[in-house]
Amino acid sequence: MATETAKFPEIPEKPVPLSPQQAEAMAQKQIKKHHVAIILLHWFNATVWFLEVATGAALISSPEFRFAPEWYIRMVETLFGTRSNLLHFHIAVGLAWIFVFAIYGTFGFRTYLLRQVYRKEIALDRDDIRWLMVRALRLLGRSDEPLPPQSNYNAGQKLFALAVYSLVPVIMITGLMMTFHWGSPEWIRAAIVAHFTAVGLIVSGLMVHVYMAAVFPEEKPAFFSMFTGKVNELFAYRHHFKWWREYKLEELKWRRKLELAWARTNGEAGAGATATGDEMATSEERNTTFTEPTEPLASAQERPAAERGSWLRRALRSPNDWPPYAAGFGLGLTLLASFILMGEGLGASSAFVRWTAALLGAVAPEQAAASPFWGRYLGEGQSPLVNFVVFEVIGVMIGGFVSGWLGGRLKVMVEKGPRISNRRRYALAFTGGMLSAIGARFARGCTSGQALSGGAVLAAGSWIFMMAVFAAGFAGAYLLRRDWT
Amino acid sequence: MARYAMVIDLKKCVACHACTVACNVEWNVPPGFARTKVASTGAIGKFPNVMESVFVSQCNHCDDPPCVKPCPTGATFQGTDGIVAVDKDLCIGCGFCVEACPYDARHIDPVTNKVDKCDFCSARLQRGELPACVETCTAHAKFFGDLEDRSSEVFRLVYDRGAKRLETDEVAVGPNVYYLGTEQQLELVAARFAPREPRMPKAGDWWSKVVKPLVFAAVGATFLGQAVAFFYQLWHGEEQFED
Repeated sequence: MATETAKFPEIPEKPVPLSPQQAEAMAQKQIKKHHVAIILLHWFNATVWFLEVATGAALISSPEFRFAPEWYIRMVETLFGTRSNLLHFHIAVGLAWIFVFAIYGTFGFRTYLLRQVYRKEIALDRDDIRWLMVRALRLLGRSDEPLPPQSNYNAGQKLFALAVYSLVPVIMITGLMMTFHWGSPEWIRAAIVAHFTAVGLIVSGLMVHVYMAAVFPEEKPAFFSMFTGKVNELFAYRHHFKWWREYKLEELKWRRKLELAWARTNGEAGAGATATGDEMATSEERNTTFTEPTEPLASAQERPAAERGSWLRRALRSPNDWPPYAAGFGLGLTLLASFILMGEGLGASSAFVRWTAALLGAVAPEQAAASPFWGRYLGEGQSPLVNFVVFEVIGVMIGGFVSGWLGGRLKVMVEKGPRISNRRRYALAFTGGMLSAIGARFARGCTSGQALSGGAVLAAGSWIFMMAVFAAGFAGAYLLRRDWT
Repeated sequence: MARYAMVIDLKKCVACHACTVACNVEWNVPPGFARTKVASTGAIGKFPNVMESVFVSQCNHCDDPPCVKPCPTGATFQGTDGIVAVDKDLCIGCGFCVEACPYDARHIDPVTNKVDKCDFCSARLQRGELPACVETCTAHAKFFGDLEDRSSEVFRLVYDRGAKRLETDEVAVGPNVYYLGTEQQLELVAARFAPREPRMPKAGDWWSKVVKPLVFAAVGATFLGQAVAFFYQLWHGEEQFED
């Protein structure tokens, strides 16, 4: 470390006062703090915690042990229909949670759990211990000593992480014990009390976590970094100095490599091309603006047709996709209209089933009628094609075509990731299509019929399905990530 | 509404165990366990004044069942007809109810690891049939009916023939299985098979007396601390905290 410091005298070893200009420049610069996988995992975890605490509170109904008021327990019961639905939901979400974290733990054991988690999230160093003491004194108004520099996570966060990492396995194991009845009644009783204790302790810490992130002004950049993955450099400098320093050292190292490569490619053309890497870095350091060229904004004159007219015209003629929130809202309205006008929700996979049934009925009527699965559709007394979903899917195709035509997006293409061949894309699409068709029949519906329509009417099975879809998608995305990026 | 009850005539019972067998077959109760059991008080006294009585036990579907309250998940419940039943879907097999039952009428099924007990054959009642043990009783010693129906046989046996509940001054939870027998016989049974005090296992005491207050205190203290911090923040304005 000492040699590196010698190489980079410009990066201070201890926090130094910043000039207003420096602070302003740093406040403008965003640096990456969280990987997108961590952000997804965080929000998945947050959703699970919300759902599990909300349903778990209603699950403990014994007057001796319950802590939620009776009206709350009634309300959640009503929402789920029966207590047994409630319990199955709680278990399904919990299992999805365990599954996802088991995958995370398995794939990233060395990288995350051992190196990252232990070193960056748990282990307290001397500065951390001092930080805790100074923080407490400052809170009591007994000190105005500056807080010692911190790494990615401050000592308070580390302590909470320590509690979470030691209590979460307790929650998972006791949950499994209760679900699968592992052990004698004595053990189950101990499990339920341990489950409750661990959750209760984490929740009290979680309240601080949520408060700090969502309400406390000092930590606002940290909150937004859980959406964007980035924090501004000033925040990093002030709150996580040690991490900031590591980041800058790393950045400079790469900058130097780039400079060297640049100098080699340009031969003797560059003015300072003969300089060695080290000298380059120091010269670079002197005009320490570190500004990156910003993408030129597409000027307004370039796309006149789509930009003129009412908002509706603009929305319909836009070459871009709608923002997902607006599209989601529109889809919800479409679903509502479908329920009101047709008396049933939206679907997709059953249209394909009905087409296949009609085809089989035309080609091999006896065999199809004899099959318990296809016979059901053929035995309705009319063609299997006389059904709302069949026409709805035809309408979806026409609607999609019209939408693409209006937006000027019609073209023949294979939609795929940049690094894969068309052939691989076809093979993957075919395999995935087969799997999702089989899965849709297992679940009696696909993302449209089961998750969307069933989810909208709060069917417990649909919510379990949705959880399973997200959990499996989350796990599968890792394996197939190179096919899309 | 109904108030189902059972009357067992211990004078008629011949201790043939047919009720246990019928019940185990009807409800697929594993060997070694039973929802209704036949037992003996054992011989008492000195020859020639010796006495012994048979005793038939099962869930009493008490008016004030001590097993319902400690069930954490609400799996054990009492229906409007007075029947105390278990929603097997909700049972996690913790056995708080087993410890609570003063009559030891519950057991943990070793196959499902969930609690099992007599439910007066609810499923059969819905089909208009009698409970399996009543129907099969070789001595016709078991009677089943609705105590709110004044014309029913159990009403006659309880209010005219004076069938008795098996309870003590300490444990009076209103059992709905009544017994007929000679006075001496019933005394003997009461001495030998009196209900015990409901037990609360250690884990339950820990939960309600230690853990629950602790968690409430932790969450409450955190909440208060945050409320103070929040008002402090409101009072002093956000700028003070901003960088």
